[in-house]
Amino acid sequence: MANKRNATIVVALITAAVVAIMVWRPTVLIYGVQAAGLYASIAIPMGLILGIVHIVNLAHGEFMMVAAYATYMVCTTFGIDPFVAMIPVAAVTAAFGFVIYKLTIRQALKAPELNQLILTFGLGISLTQIANLVFTSQTRKISFDYVSASVDVGELSFGVYNFVFVLIAILMVVGLRLFLTKTTTGKAALAVGQNPKGAAIVGIDVDRTYGLVFALATAMIGMMGAVFITRSSIFPAVGSPFTMKSFCLVAMAGIGNIPGILGASLLLGISENFLKAFRELRGWSDIVFFVLIITVILGRSIKGKKA
Amino acid sequence: MKFKSSYLAVAILAAIVIAFPAFLGAYPLNVARSIMTYMALAISWDMLLRSGQISFGIAGLFGLGSYASALAVLRGGMDPFVSIIFAALLAGLVAFALGFAILRLRGMYFSITTLALMEIFRIIMQNLHDFSGGPEGVVIPAVIFNGSSTALYWLCLAGLFITIGVSWYFEKSKMHLALTAIRNDETSARSSGVDIFRYLLFAFVITSMLQGMMGAIQIQSYGFTTPDTAFDANFTLLPLAMALLGGIHSTMGPMAGAVLLGIASEWLKLKIPYGHLVVYGIIIIIVILFMPQGLVGLARKLMRGSDTKGRKAGATHE
Repeated sequence: MANKRNATIVVALITAAVVAIMVWRPTVLIYGVQAAGLYASIAIPMGLILGIVHIVNLAHGEFMMVAAYATYMVCTTFGIDPFVAMIPVAAVTAAFGFVIYKLTIRQALKAPELNQLILTFGLGISLTQIANLVFTSQTRKISFDYVSASVDVGELSFGVYNFVFVLIAILMVVGLRLFLTKTTTGKAALAVGQNPKGAAIVGIDVDRTYGLVFALATAMIGMMGAVFITRSSIFPAVGSPFTMKSFCLVAMAGIGNIPGILGASLLLGISENFLKAFRELRGWSDIVFFVLIITVILGRSIKGKKA
Repeated sequence: MKFKSSYLAVAILAAIVIAFPAFLGAYPLNVARSIMTYMALAISWDMLLRSGQISFGIAGLFGLGSYASALAVLRGGMDPFVSIIFAALLAGLVAFALGFAILRLRGMYFSITTLALMEIFRIIMQNLHDFSGGPEGVVIPAVIFNGSSTALYWLCLAGLFITIGVSWYFEKSKMHLALTAIRNDETSARSSGVDIFRYLLFAFVITSMLQGMMGAIQIQSYGFTTPDTAFDANFTLLPLAMALLGGIHSTMGPMAGAVLLGIASEWLKLKIPYGHLVVYGIIIIIVILFMPQGLVGLARKLMRGSDTKGRKAGATHE
């Protein structure tokens, strides 16, 4: 009862805030939504891994970085568009993710959580540093005309290209939902996520499912890496901030709740852009995220204690 | 009998280390200082790890100590030497206040929170332009001891000795039993009357003070810092790799790991200017997968076989 009333109040507050922002600075909302799309589409693969394999992959952003470099190589060698290159890149990163899973993560599945954290942390550093060795820390960029497409609405002019990330995020959520509820493999994956022992008893190959899910998630992050290169220049450390952001969003949504990531991303994207709208507060916009993550984690732990 | 000879070995080793400046030039002393800094951080990280809490925020408290010391000298006109103590106390105080909230977290939530806190400290220092100098950082007017490399070496060594001493105290006293009990099984520790939160808070505050102190020593010896160098992720990463390689849950392990990796990385830095950190990443992966007990654990296993196990179990029982 109290819960329901609280939820109504929260919804009303959010609506009021959104309307207020819309009237006051529409760009905050537009860029906020675009940023949210980017955050969500990077966080969703992590949510998939965390929800089913129960591993916090601290090398998540680095996987995207690897994919971005792969895309860069493919695009510059064959002169094709990243949106075309995305398919071979996704296949390659899926294979890459599968191999990494088999070689390292699989061995640590039974180990304590701390070992898994440190292991993926080490994986992330290795990937960044290997990129550093191979490509040096020089930033690389490919420019495309369609990225600068903009739309004028009244006095307002804004870039529309970044809405592609919103589209990708929504596609990912819908696609995953269909996969997890309609296909046999997806249902098996869901079962493994809920209870690996139970799933093994009814005859599901848990290890194979984990490998598949891991490969699927890295394929998704690979596609994201391909699209990412259209928007921003790449360097070895480009992925690292997204690991933390993705984890925060997944933790905020609740582990296993993939559509919830969309909502969490919206909150992060809009509040970051809200601070960016004030000139003197611009430098502080990065802090929003870290304050948010700590609040979420502490909030959850307190709630957990009460329950 | 055995104890006496090991004390003697330690004393001889300490004497040799103290006498280093007599036969080493400025460059090796500088390398030694950086190794000692990482070693102290590695040991302090391990001290908290003994309770099962893995912190990714070493750089946060290290940087906090750096800034506290620099700003105390610059804005408060404090004596540089006093400012190191001040920085340690401030880091301890901050850890005490934060500890009430974050020490209730476990596992990955604690780790991620410490990582986030480190970023928050960095962003605060980056944005308080008037107070902390913003992204350009702070420069203190004079380096402590007029930059004499011998004195700076001894200062750093003193910081390291304090850290080792505290770590030994943790190993030999009741703390060891309490932290190990918490690590192994919190519920049974609580039911045997261990005040879990108090021990965790104590360990967290002490390790934070050590990290803050090392940060203060660092800035006082180099004379300047920026948010990016003070809160450099390397101050989290390197100690972690060192402690893991050497062997966690001991004082010896992180020390051995720091000496090995410190010298190796100095050599690699000359060979591969970009990306020599890849070695750290690979070491972390290999150690976690193949020898979770580290080098010290491996050596112990090879040297004494099952004898150690029996004795250790006995010791924990007391």
